[in-house]
Amino acid sequence: MASGKVLYPLYQLGNPQLRIFRPNFFMTLVRPGVTQPEDTVQFRISMQMTRVDVKNYLEKIYNVPVSVVRTRIQYGANNKRNHKNQKVKKPDYKVAYVQLGQGQTFQFPNLFPEKEETPEPGSVEDIQKQFMENERQRQTADPRRGGVTDWFGL
Amino acid sequence: MAAALCRCFFSAVRVSGVLQAPPGAGLSGLTSNLLHKKTTKVEPFYQCKFLHTTLSRRGLEEFFDDRKNWGETVVKSGDEWHAKHLRNKSNEDLHKLWYVLLKEKNMLLTLEQEAKRQSLPMPSPERLEKVEKSMGRIDLVIKEREVALRLLQTGHENPRPGEWRNDFLGRTYWYNSKEWPIPWYLNKKYNRRKFFYSPRVKHFIRLRIEQHLKKQARMKSLEKKKQLLLQEKFPHLAAQSQN
Repeated sequence: MASGKVLYPLYQLGNPQLRIFRPNFFMTLVRPGVTQPEDTVQFRISMQMTRVDVKNYLEKIYNVPVSVVRTRIQYGANNKRNHKNQKVKKPDYKVAYVQLGQGQTFQFPNLFPEKEETPEPGSVEDIQKQFMENERQRQTADPRRGGVTDWFGL
Repeated sequence: MAAALCRCFFSAVRVSGVLQAPPGAGLSGLTSNLLHKKTTKVEPFYQCKFLHTTLSRRGLEEFFDDRKNWGETVVKSGDEWHAKHLRNKSNEDLHKLWYVLLKEKNMLLTLEQEAKRQSLPMPSPERLEKVEKSMGRIDLVIKEREVALRLLQTGHENPRPGEWRNDFLGRTYWYNSKEWPIPWYLNKKYNRRKFFYSPRVKHFIRLRIEQHLKKQARMKSLEKKKQLLLQEKFPHLAAQSQN
């Protein structure tokens, strides 16, 4: 259970269990494109990982109770062409749908919330903001004209 | 999680509760909380400080950054781990640090993907490279230790034994030994391979060497010709470079 070229000793009956000390598998938690049930979490995982690996990974490293894991392989698009008109393949990746155990639910949070910024009065940003607002005000059409274009009329 | 990178670990060591030692004794304790086991034995005195990791029960929230870093454009992070610092750490500490960095990298990959999805710039993408480099250095340090131990125990530097062998055309290559479930004299597949060449091949080995030398000479003369051509084209530059 390690990506890359790893040579394991040949297993013979009675040998100790193969162990991995520094796992080099990475999992990316992604926001599901298609709406999933509340207890399902979607991951992008390394190609070499299996369902059992995902379960062990989450339970041992992250202490997350896992009931079922389903995986599939997403085919990377192959319809792009580069400047030499050669086909450019996007890499494939494996997707894991993990159903959490013990009635746990998960909702993907908004990682980029809008932050209210109040620049200091007198600073460059403040002046720039005021200038932009004035410009916007100047460029808006006269409401008394009722939406009639500028070039029409005297 | 950004603190995982920073050198704060050196200062963030605290004397653990399970270790009944007076705080003034200068003995820094090791809390192996990451592995969730209670060590009641008293650790021997080490010169270096131990790596301390807090018990994390956050579960899936560890895939995301600190809540206060959400929406920020710049997230501060410390220096990466250099091999010089990692060589002072014990194997146990390196093992723990690997998992800290693994979680950090998972978090950063999640953040990167989410930023890509929302078409936003990722906050401080240099963190990813720092984590990758640190992990590579941990691997390096541990491999160094393995090699040192192997040299002491067996006298071999390579974990996989091997030797220089010839194939049937007289080409010499490095043969990596492989584990087989049966001895070599019973192994049909292994015995089918030829690690020798007949005397008739010797002539062709000579020809191959000749070809190689000819090619090298040709490349050399071509290089020389190019140099001369350039010197003819730009004589003033040639004079400058000679001075």
